[in-house]
Amino acid sequence: MRNKGGALIVGALAVALTATGCNATTNDGGGGNSGEAKTQSGSISYEAADNTGPAKAVDGATKGGIVTSMYPADFEHLDPARNYVNLQQLTGNLIYRSLNGYVEDGTGKMLLVGDLATNPGTDVNKDCKVWEFKLRDGLKYEDGSAISSKDIAYGIARSFAPELNEGPHYIQQWLYPGGTYNATYKGPYEGNQMPAGIETPDDKTIKFTFADPHCDMPYAAALPTSAPVPQGKDTKGNYDLRPFSSGPYKVKTYTRDNLLELERNPNWDANTDPIRNAYPDGFKFTFGLEQQQISERLVADAPADQASFGWGDTPPAVLPRTTTPNVANRIAKGPTQYVWYLGVNNLRIKDKKIREALYYGLDRDAALKAIGGSSAGEPASTLMSPTTAGFVKFDVYNAPPTGDVNKVKEILGGTTPPPMVLAHSNTALRTAQAEAIRASLEKAGFKVTLKAIEATSYYDQVGRKNNPYDLYLHGWGSDWPTGSTIIPPIYDGREIVDEGNNNLAYFNDDSVNTEIDRIKTLPAAEQDAAWTALDKKIMQDFLPEIPAYYDATHEIYGSKLGNVFLSDAFGAIQLNKIYVKP
Amino acid sequence: MLRFITRRVLVGVVTLIAISIIVFGLFFAVPSSPAKVMCGKNCDAASIAAVETRLGLRDPIAEQYTSFMKGIFVGRTYAEGTAFEQRCDAPCLGFSFRNNEAVTSILGRTVPVTISIVFGAAILWLLIGVSLGMISALRRGTLFDKVAIGISLTGASMQVFFFGLILLYVLVYTSGILPFPSYTPFTDNPAKWAQGLILPWITLGFLNSAIYARLSRAQMLETLSEDYVRTARAKGLPLRRVYTKHALRAAITPIVTIAGLDIGASLGGTFITETIFGLRGLGKETVEAVSFLNLPIVVATVLLAAVFIVVANLIVDVLYAVIDPRVRLS
Repeated sequence: MRNKGGALIVGALAVALTATGCNATTNDGGGGNSGEAKTQSGSISYEAADNTGPAKAVDGATKGGIVTSMYPADFEHLDPARNYVNLQQLTGNLIYRSLNGYVEDGTGKMLLVGDLATNPGTDVNKDCKVWEFKLRDGLKYEDGSAISSKDIAYGIARSFAPELNEGPHYIQQWLYPGGTYNATYKGPYEGNQMPAGIETPDDKTIKFTFADPHCDMPYAAALPTSAPVPQGKDTKGNYDLRPFSSGPYKVKTYTRDNLLELERNPNWDANTDPIRNAYPDGFKFTFGLEQQQISERLVADAPADQASFGWGDTPPAVLPRTTTPNVANRIAKGPTQYVWYLGVNNLRIKDKKIREALYYGLDRDAALKAIGGSSAGEPASTLMSPTTAGFVKFDVYNAPPTGDVNKVKEILGGTTPPPMVLAHSNTALRTAQAEAIRASLEKAGFKVTLKAIEATSYYDQVGRKNNPYDLYLHGWGSDWPTGSTIIPPIYDGREIVDEGNNNLAYFNDDSVNTEIDRIKTLPAAEQDAAWTALDKKIMQDFLPEIPAYYDATHEIYGSKLGNVFLSDAFGAIQLNKIYVKP
Repeated sequence: MLRFITRRVLVGVVTLIAISIIVFGLFFAVPSSPAKVMCGKNCDAASIAAVETRLGLRDPIAEQYTSFMKGIFVGRTYAEGTAFEQRCDAPCLGFSFRNNEAVTSILGRTVPVTISIVFGAAILWLLIGVSLGMISALRRGTLFDKVAIGISLTGASMQVFFFGLILLYVLVYTSGILPFPSYTPFTDNPAKWAQGLILPWITLGFLNSAIYARLSRAQMLETLSEDYVRTARAKGLPLRRVYTKHALRAAITPIVTIAGLDIGASLGGTFITETIFGLRGLGKETVEAVSFLNLPIVVATVLLAAVFIVVANLIVDVLYAVIDPRVRLS
């Protein structure tokens, strides 16, 4: 799962830490009038037209200008081996290219296409076990040297190094299944130069051989892990500061915690790139302002800030000022890939009837109001987010957003549910939200006690099997926009371990597990509908936990920026097709 | 004088060592693991152990402390013998746990910001505060005195986060009279440096000047009622000479003490001011480091803040002797 936002958002007097592990840590800033949820129609395209550069021109767009991003905290990592946060990935996308990438146009249509590769990968034996990628002609680094498939292999090899362990590890785990991904091979710095299962027969070809079928490989190849890193340019721990450019921009200056400046990479050839238009002459990523200051400045739209945008959610205090016409037309809002759930510990609440009663008892509107009103998201009824490919909205229980007390009573039929403990992260927003949820459940006849847990250890505690809590708030977002990084990690009961669980409902059902296995072997294009069907089945037959709301984002931008829209793949303003108005 | 300074410096060094030990101790008393914060996702026990080894967090606390102190004087090498070996030259304060940047480089960036804020503001608050207070005392009971007291009461009652935000709202967000505060090194462009810091100066300057105005007024009034001042006046000394030569010098001594301590403490970080005006100085860096369990930065910034206080105290003591001949350094 990809984390949303930077690792930290500094509050006026408090710092929210990113949870380690794979659960969502949103920037808790409220924000996001999410009334415009759109259905994601993403897919993998092998069409030559989609896979051939240059990227389709944006109407009215002009080249030139500098786009400025304002964000409270500096990036943690830009090194492709360590880049696992959406905003870092959006930024990294400007500097380096992966094997695959997403073409988006802001309408909800998202295509996975070849980026460095000529197409999203060839399933050599049609069993999803051997994947081959051919690189395009004319690919160059910032120094004009040619990009080789061996550099991609090296990039993946170094991501095995324990010192560079922060990135996604799908391909690594698939190459070394069973056990920790780097238990055997520990990167090129110790012993073996290359991991097993990767071949580069020539400079244009890279082939992956897995023991098991992985039909999701085209999506995994879109993660930064497959960005090329020339061995001679590998500065190891310092690569974060200056990744060697294979994309349209290169690092000009980088002062940690203050400013990252990108300038054009003259050796990037637009004709080799179907994804990026690269209209601006450069980007400035500024760090250090509070989110409220950023939003105030963007609302004010002073001349110096007109080509700027903010990646953080607009704080509730500024939201009322964003409705005037000259601000309202400068808002990018919509759902992110995150869904927040009222997690139910199935080891304690075993009766589906009680979980169903909780579903109706939860006042989703109140839970949202506590963190910024309807701007923070919209009530959820599915396990997967609206940004997931093939998403179809359904509500098998048809509960009103404010809950239905009568239905709760009807389901419980006069029986008294057991008293419950609702655990929550001890931040101001989550505490307020937990209180709102407690109030709504008590109104419906449940007895709920709150338990605040420090933010830094929250997911550790609720991720412990046999934890003493009945209910807990938790979020989850996918690594790529299909159900395969949502349903298996959080509902495959075979993955439940003593500590560090992602399956926080502690839900385990053989029929679901078997179906997960089956879907994984389907061709990627067929998986979308299958995951959606499984989502519905889980909700209908088991209801392991309660989807509370779809997380939304609400971002402001300056009046001189054009073609600003939220990337569905990353849940924030995209940079590939943005431009500065003259 | 030299003996006095030497003794005070030695006491200062002992104080700093004691503070560094306390910070180290306190840090490890917190039941959180910086390795866990750093480890990122897919974090398992082996990864945490690897990070802890790399950071030296698995060594006994005493060893970690001596390595840290040794690094200050002779430098040190991290992850020695591995591909990720990293040399940190003296004065080595370590590397940030969060992004591996040298702490000295972080301080080199943040300290000038705080110094610029504090010195600019201090000049304002001393100039405005002391002048207002003195004139009020000399014109006791007049309209000027009453207005000055009113202003100082208002200033003393306000908070930085309130006054600062109002200034931002009026002068930046709505009218656009001033650009949003920013920091440009003085050596790069003095005009831009001043323009970027004018709001924090005004904010801190106005609020602190209120206290100084009240203090100066009270001190001056007390001094003016002293026998020697009355004697001087009775002997026919011109008023100007009585006030400047005799009264002012005596009245200003306690103000110097307070100013020295205030400036010293502020140099350790003006977190709220820095936060409100989006300036990344020592205060903001420290608070963030504490939240991230970023030990090297916490130790370095706390030590630096302590250095500022110790040095400010020393300067105040020396200034005492200069201002007030009755005080002898011994």
